[in-house]
Amino acid sequence: MEQTKLAAVDSRLLSHSIVNRVFVTIGVYLIAIVLVVLGIVLQLAGAINNFLTAQNMLNIIDAVSMLGIVAVGMAFVTYSGHYADLSVPTTMAMTGIVAVEMLKFGFVVAVLSALAVGFVVGLINAIAVGKFRANPIIWTLAVNYMSLGVIRLVWVNKQIYPDMTASTVRASEMFDAIFRLRFFDKIALPVVMMIILVIVLQFVMRRTKFGVQLKMTGAARTPARFSGINVELMIAIAFIICALTATVGGLAVTSLNKVGAWYNGEGYEFKAVTAVVIGGVTLAGGRGSIIGVLGGVLVIGILNNILTLLGVGTFSQDMIRGAIFIIVVFVNARSLRKMGRDYE
Amino acid sequence: MNNQKRTRIGREKTLVFIDRNRIFLLFGVVFLFMAIFGPRFMTAYNLTTIMRTTAMNATAAIGFTMILIIAQLDLSIGTIITFAGVVGLGLKEYIGYGGSVPIAILAGCGIGLINGLLVTKAKISSFIVTLGMLTILQGAIYTITGGNSISLSSPDAFAVSDWLSTMMIPLITPRVIITLVLVAAFTVFLRFTRIGRNFYMVGGNRQTAWLAGINTDLYTIMTFVISGFTAAVGGVLFAMEGAAATLNLGDTSLMYVISAVIIGGTAMSGGKGGVLKSFFAILTLDVLYNGIILFGLGNEVKIFIAGIILAAVVLYEAYTRYKHDKIVGQRSELMKEVDQLKEKLRASRRKIAG
Amino acid sequence: MKRRTTVFFTLLLALALTGAVYAGGGGEATETETTAGGMSNLEKSLAVDTTGLKSEDGQPLIILQEKQREVPARPSDPDALPEDDPLHWWDIEFAGWNANKTNIPESPNDGAIGKRIVFIVHGDHPWTTACTLGAQKIADAYDMEFKPLSPNWDLAVQNQMIDQAINEQPDMILLIPLDAKTAPQQARKINQAGIPLILFNTLPSAAAMDYCITWTGPDDFGQFRMLSRVWADEMKRVHGTADVGVAYIQHAPGGSPYFARCWGPISELSGYASWVETLDKQAPMFEADKSMQLVSDWLTRFGDDLKGICAADDSAQALGIFEALEKAGRDDVVVIAAGNSKVGMDLVKEGKLFAITYQTAEGDGALAVQTAADWFNGKDIPPVKYLPKHIITKKDVEEFYPPQW
Repeated sequence: MEQTKLAAVDSRLLSHSIVNRVFVTIGVYLIAIVLVVLGIVLQLAGAINNFLTAQNMLNIIDAVSMLGIVAVGMAFVTYSGHYADLSVPTTMAMTGIVAVEMLKFGFVVAVLSALAVGFVVGLINAIAVGKFRANPIIWTLAVNYMSLGVIRLVWVNKQIYPDMTASTVRASEMFDAIFRLRFFDKIALPVVMMIILVIVLQFVMRRTKFGVQLKMTGAARTPARFSGINVELMIAIAFIICALTATVGGLAVTSLNKVGAWYNGEGYEFKAVTAVVIGGVTLAGGRGSIIGVLGGVLVIGILNNILTLLGVGTFSQDMIRGAIFIIVVFVNARSLRKMGRDYE
Repeated sequence: MNNQKRTRIGREKTLVFIDRNRIFLLFGVVFLFMAIFGPRFMTAYNLTTIMRTTAMNATAAIGFTMILIIAQLDLSIGTIITFAGVVGLGLKEYIGYGGSVPIAILAGCGIGLINGLLVTKAKISSFIVTLGMLTILQGAIYTITGGNSISLSSPDAFAVSDWLSTMMIPLITPRVIITLVLVAAFTVFLRFTRIGRNFYMVGGNRQTAWLAGINTDLYTIMTFVISGFTAAVGGVLFAMEGAAATLNLGDTSLMYVISAVIIGGTAMSGGKGGVLKSFFAILTLDVLYNGIILFGLGNEVKIFIAGIILAAVVLYEAYTRYKHDKIVGQRSELMKEVDQLKEKLRASRRKIAG
Repeated sequence: MKRRTTVFFTLLLALALTGAVYAGGGGEATETETTAGGMSNLEKSLAVDTTGLKSEDGQPLIILQEKQREVPARPSDPDALPEDDPLHWWDIEFAGWNANKTNIPESPNDGAIGKRIVFIVHGDHPWTTACTLGAQKIADAYDMEFKPLSPNWDLAVQNQMIDQAINEQPDMILLIPLDAKTAPQQARKINQAGIPLILFNTLPSAAAMDYCITWTGPDDFGQFRMLSRVWADEMKRVHGTADVGVAYIQHAPGGSPYFARCWGPISELSGYASWVETLDKQAPMFEADKSMQLVSDWLTRFGDDLKGICAADDSAQALGIFEALEKAGRDDVVVIAAGNSKVGMDLVKEGKLFAITYQTAEGDGALAVQTAADWFNGKDIPPVKYLPKHIITKKDVEEFYPPQW
């Protein structure tokens, strides 16, 4: 779908106002701050209580840590102009169940085999989408189905338990600890992993040659190729990163559920895309940052928290979340357009 | 020399024919396989079951095919199906089917209209708009029903549903008739009318279509409305036949319809494909699944096969495009000239040496 | 040229299709495999003793219960009663006891050996894998032709499976309806086709009961009434009766467990322990991180007032609950749930989960098939048959290992 936009925008229509500029760069954090302020206002008005407590803030971060891990990887796929990787849920489930199965050889082997499987899935996606330019949404959807079929065929529709497959008690405890380990009794391991991933991947996206080349690939694939960038390699690495973060997320979810099953990770693909897009990584590719994605994840967490504290039912929450999703993307896109920077 | 050329062209033509009509051939193959090997497959009752099962998804696929043709996406069709079913059945107690069914269908059109407006006027990507709309609708469905599915309690409840499922002609029940009529109508519309063909232009190259004087925004909005319309029709008819509407009735339809439409030959890049092909794709998948149930195989087989077929189709398309891209821009006469020059060079070298 | 070939092609296929149908003929009835002579089949079948069979957890597969539940009289208008009155839920809880059986086929009374049964569950889940296993064990004991099908939570597929099953003309269909409200239409279809039907596991709405031979399954409401009393007693012991608030994590909306596992306790406690206050009920479905977030937010909202939680699921939901409780350092909250998965039993063993219901998955499937066999043997079948009830606590949880799922 490569169409060129009609030439020059009338510069008199552009608006480089402060609001637009700020919004485009760190827009999502603006939303997060607005939500926090809303929460404080509601608390002062007595509608909710205990919003601005350390425990509550910690709860929010805990709740979104696994989503954050998956979303920062998905961001690379979106950044490269390939919309989304819909095979993430089954990658999470498959790496999780492989890890549980391999616990009989010890914890380290289990984690390594999970990463290996994740890498293979990422590679399959990379070749089909990167080299053969298959449509990413449909291809990753097909991979999703195939992985699901494989899991269910190999493990005969059963689920397996880490404490039963583990070779030693220590191995099983370590697996449980993936989700449950807390530093200083407060900060969970998934949160730490998310923060580390955010820092590392932000660096990768902004400061490495790969990141810059990926940005060009996402923004304009053919010119990038003619500039000498190995476009296929860039896309391949993006999909592999996504699959690897899905592996880490999958290990966390499997550890939480204490069971290796084919349904772990269900729903994560759309949640991750939501977070990624709210965070400013546009679907057209080549724009956004990992810090933004972190902001997107936080926005979702704070929103959920406020709504639950207000007593809003789960399903009404869905409605509000869907509406906010559209609004955020709209405002983001509009600001970009007003500044003449939306080369879609 | 002429003979060679003729058979070569003949062979190419066959290949192109197979490629263009692969879904019909695939359908024939799958159907034949099931007919020969499937226990009790070739009974009127079983074949009617297949037709009745396809009705809902086939109707929704009509609209979705058009969406893909204009190179957009509509992820909300699953929830529109459910929404229409819920509204159609829920309001029946108050205003009868005569009132609730049109309202349900109008609701579907309305949702499609909102989608279309957001995509064209607010210029938000259709992926985002329909993803958000999906979430909103899901929440709405649960909120207005309070989490309860809807069923009809009045004694005449089953009357309509029975009528919808009686066999009028062999294999065809009223609900199937409605589906077939819609499929036929839209096939003719898209292929043989000027307005219909304009959809392909909008999808093929939006800028050029606009420059050619087609109101691309209007066509886009129309397509989303049609998509909402067909999804709503499919959903409300299904609910009427079952005399009940659950809250996740259309959940699996989205992925199923996407897979089927792609397998049928409509590409996400837009500008090609057809409603008839999508219909046969859904038929093929349903015959396949019917056969899987006949053989008593489990769902893992079904899911795996669905994935393999989809992957094969996607890879096949991608690979053909890849090969095509490799030779794009090559001019065969120039390449021949290069060959001739090389030959001349080699000949002159030989003369010098020998 | 392109247009013409495609149109021609389609017509050709359509012709082939129609021709093939007429060639294939109408629906065929197939023979059931019977052993030599009808009487010896019945004698053999009656001689089969399944009471010795065990499920994977070592418990007996079929537990014969002589005494079913006491069924109170139906109030004239249950909906008019308040929601915390047990009799408000009469139509859901006691569905089947006052059914108007219509057009039920007579038992052929020729034994169960070699009969063909189609076993349709509601979806894929390790629970249903265990349920199907239990059913298979009984079917094997009677040498039945057993065909299990699962629509994976898709109503359209379940309807298709029912249609295909009817097409096969089996000797009996066993069905877990996906949804209580859609069950009547499904049951009616099978009934009108003249095929015997047993519904099981989830309670359908009352209208469906008119069309089936019987319903077998767990007495969800009854178990949860028992469970809630145990719960109230424990909360009283730990907290006294002042300021005791509880919250409910519900099952998927609309199904019978949604009502049984939330409104069952609420309506029971309103009489038995009226000092318990219901603070909130939510349906976050079955993801641990959602339950974790929900309970954390409840603790933020209600603080110390939250003294008890009742969950509809003892695995993912329970795990989420305890993650949240441990984080907040609240080990005084009394938690009960519906069982019994391995994860749930582990939590009971660790002393976290106070009590769960024993709901044998294998026994569920087995009872349904056993009832089918009893019907083939000509025995009298009551309109509703319950699985045995039991509350598992730390004291006796060891007896239920290894877990069924």
